[in-house]
Amino acid sequence: MASTQARRRWAWALVLVLVALAVAIPLTVARRQEPTPPGTLQNVLLEDFEVRQEAAVVPAGTVSFRIRNQGPTTHEVIVVRTELAPDKLPLQDDGLTVDEEGEGIKFLEEVDGLDIDDRETMVLDLAPGHYVLYCNLEGHYLGGMYEALTVR
Amino acid sequence: MRRSPSAEAGAASATRRTAVGGRSGIGRLVPRLPILGDLRLGRRLGWVIPMLIVLVAAIVVYNARAIAEQRGSALVVYTAARQRAFVERYTTDVLLKVDGFQADPEESAEDVREPVDVLLDGGSVRAPQGGGARVEIQPARDWRVRRKLEQDRRLIDALIRTGDQLQEGGRDDRSYETNVTRLRVLSAQLSSVSNDAVREITQQAEASISRLVRIEIALGLLGVLAALALGLLLRRAGAEQAAQFRSLVNNSSDLITVLTPDGTIAYQSPSVQRVLGRRAGALVGAALVDLVHPDDRHQVNAALTRLMEAPGATASFGCRLQHEDGSWRHVESICTNLADDPRVNGLVLNIRDVTEQAALRQSISDLLHNLARRSQGLVDRQLELIDELERNEVDPDRLDELFRMDHLATRMRRNVENLIVLSGVDQRRRWSESVPLRDVVEAAVAEVEDYSRVQVAGIHDLTLSGQAASDVAHLLAELVENATSFSSPTTRVEVSGGPAGNGYVLEIGDHGIGMSDTELAEANRRLAAPLAADNIAVSRMMGFHVVGRLAARHGIRVQLRPRWFGGITALVLLPTTLLGSAGEHPAMAPPVSAGVTVAPEPLLLANSTESRWQPRAHLPLRRQAAPAPDRGGDTDPAAEAGDPFG
Repeated sequence: MASTQARRRWAWALVLVLVALAVAIPLTVARRQEPTPPGTLQNVLLEDFEVRQEAAVVPAGTVSFRIRNQGPTTHEVIVVRTELAPDKLPLQDDGLTVDEEGEGIKFLEEVDGLDIDDRETMVLDLAPGHYVLYCNLEGHYLGGMYEALTVR
Repeated sequence: MRRSPSAEAGAASATRRTAVGGRSGIGRLVPRLPILGDLRLGRRLGWVIPMLIVLVAAIVVYNARAIAEQRGSALVVYTAARQRAFVERYTTDVLLKVDGFQADPEESAEDVREPVDVLLDGGSVRAPQGGGARVEIQPARDWRVRRKLEQDRRLIDALIRTGDQLQEGGRDDRSYETNVTRLRVLSAQLSSVSNDAVREITQQAEASISRLVRIEIALGLLGVLAALALGLLLRRAGAEQAAQFRSLVNNSSDLITVLTPDGTIAYQSPSVQRVLGRRAGALVGAALVDLVHPDDRHQVNAALTRLMEAPGATASFGCRLQHEDGSWRHVESICTNLADDPRVNGLVLNIRDVTEQAALRQSISDLLHNLARRSQGLVDRQLELIDELERNEVDPDRLDELFRMDHLATRMRRNVENLIVLSGVDQRRRWSESVPLRDVVEAAVAEVEDYSRVQVAGIHDLTLSGQAASDVAHLLAELVENATSFSSPTTRVEVSGGPAGNGYVLEIGDHGIGMSDTELAEANRRLAAPLAADNIAVSRMMGFHVVGRLAARHGIRVQLRPRWFGGITALVLLPTTLLGSAGEHPAMAPPVSAGVTVAPEPLLLANSTESRWQPRAHLPLRRQAAPAPDRGGDTDPAAEAGDPFG
């Protein structure tokens, strides 16, 4: 009698564990799997004070920038289309930040507030041309935090 | 008779052991909280209180720690914010100095380094408030903050290096413009990083405060729940205890009665139905004395009146209460004066029905009395026989042997009479006429085997009530025999008398080894309050109980006192009501002004005093009043001064 009750208790415990696993595993896997970004995938790595990207040239069309900030400082990424050299972008009056509405550049998109270890995906339809990716926080651009991108 | 028992200690210690060992298990762990009073903590309640204590302690500790952390966080933010200001000042100082103005970038450089060093490595900073006191800051623990601060430190190093280059090269240096730009960029980057660090630290402080608030709310709710649970459990425990108390009171064989100060019953436990066949409700408002036997009312009234005058005191008394069917129930009552207790405001009586015990006691007394009476008859016949033999015997040796037999039989008779006294039956001989006190004393001495050692002196010419003569003789015989038994055969026992303020005192003094203080106190206690026959350990101190009982019959007071030169004096205070002057008795002998030594020669009592009174039938016929040295009215001056027991 007692052994039957013990077996029944163990059976219930096993059922509960299996149910918990059945719920937890799909949730965990689903969280780990990120949706596949559309178009060309371009991995971009930010760190003090540098922008690195997977490829300097990408095909025209949809480009997904998968950005990760390695920090340690908070950064942002701004994409502009320009024929200017990447280190010759126009500056604002403070002389420390790029004038995003300045002559010779066309602002396309930005992702800001990327703290250390943050990840963000930015999807753009890019026509063939020259582009620059940079961080426009004070002193970051002048510290060398930019990278040129060519779309063909 | 003098050896007193001392066996109560064992029982008392056993009681203490039981009381101490009564608490066990959770009861030992749970602190006794004064606020709970006598409320017994059940097992469930016992867990709640320690849990509450732990909870409160946790809240206090957590709050103290959280407050300290918050203060530290505020200082960290303040320190990080100051670092930005120092960077800007350093940059300005460098540029000013390069341009030839008065500035001290070296000092500014130290100020720039200090905050980040403290934030990373820990240290003390000057608090913004509090009179400039320095406050210790713990090193930053969060990895994000540490990474930003380390970056901050690297940028500061670069800034200071650039500043140094600018100061070294001056305006004429080729890289002047580049270095100025670099200085401004590094300054901007430092500002950015510092902002970042401050933001991170602020976010963490906010998160910490938010967490603290949530935990405080949770702890508060938990505390409220625990308090509610405690309240419920206390209420339940109180209700259970009240129910238990009610059950105990209702089912107890004892009666619990509360009397108002005027003797009216204010509360009566329901058990009165079982004991007296009366409804409790019907008794409320009635006077207790209406239930008491008329013979006991005076005693009960006196006891209650005395108790009412002593708040908090306890007294006990026995009486008879009338049953609903008219019969009388013997009860013993322990009464406590709780008039000062506003919850009671009266006398609380715990009354126990002892009717069966009283019947048993009476049965034992009757049995004792019957046996004693039978023995008394036999001894009396034996004494009569010996008396006849003594009268007819002429041979001195044989007569001496007969006297010894006579004395042994007399002692046996007194022992038997002791049993009769202890049985509570009053069958003493009473005499209508008063009796010379001296005759009573001599009769008592004559009953003692060692009568030859007894010296009677200074007995005044008084008479004693015939109602009390026989009992007084018995009483004195017991005391004299006690004195001769516990003193050396070579010493004398002195019997003397003297007037006192409220009667006449007889003193029986011996030269024995005396008694210890404890024994003396015990003996006097027995003399003052003799126990019932069934409560006496007959073999021990029986004589004192007999003396006590005989004394109590006539209002006589007996007390033992140590003599300063050794031995014991027994003081017997005969109250004035028992005494008369010698003239009242026609046969009163002239007063004995000198000591009287009882001679060994036999003599009829009647011959010695011409009195018709024979205190005890068949006394040994060997008395003869003999002249003794004049002791000049050898009375105790102290006794004459007043109450010798005072």
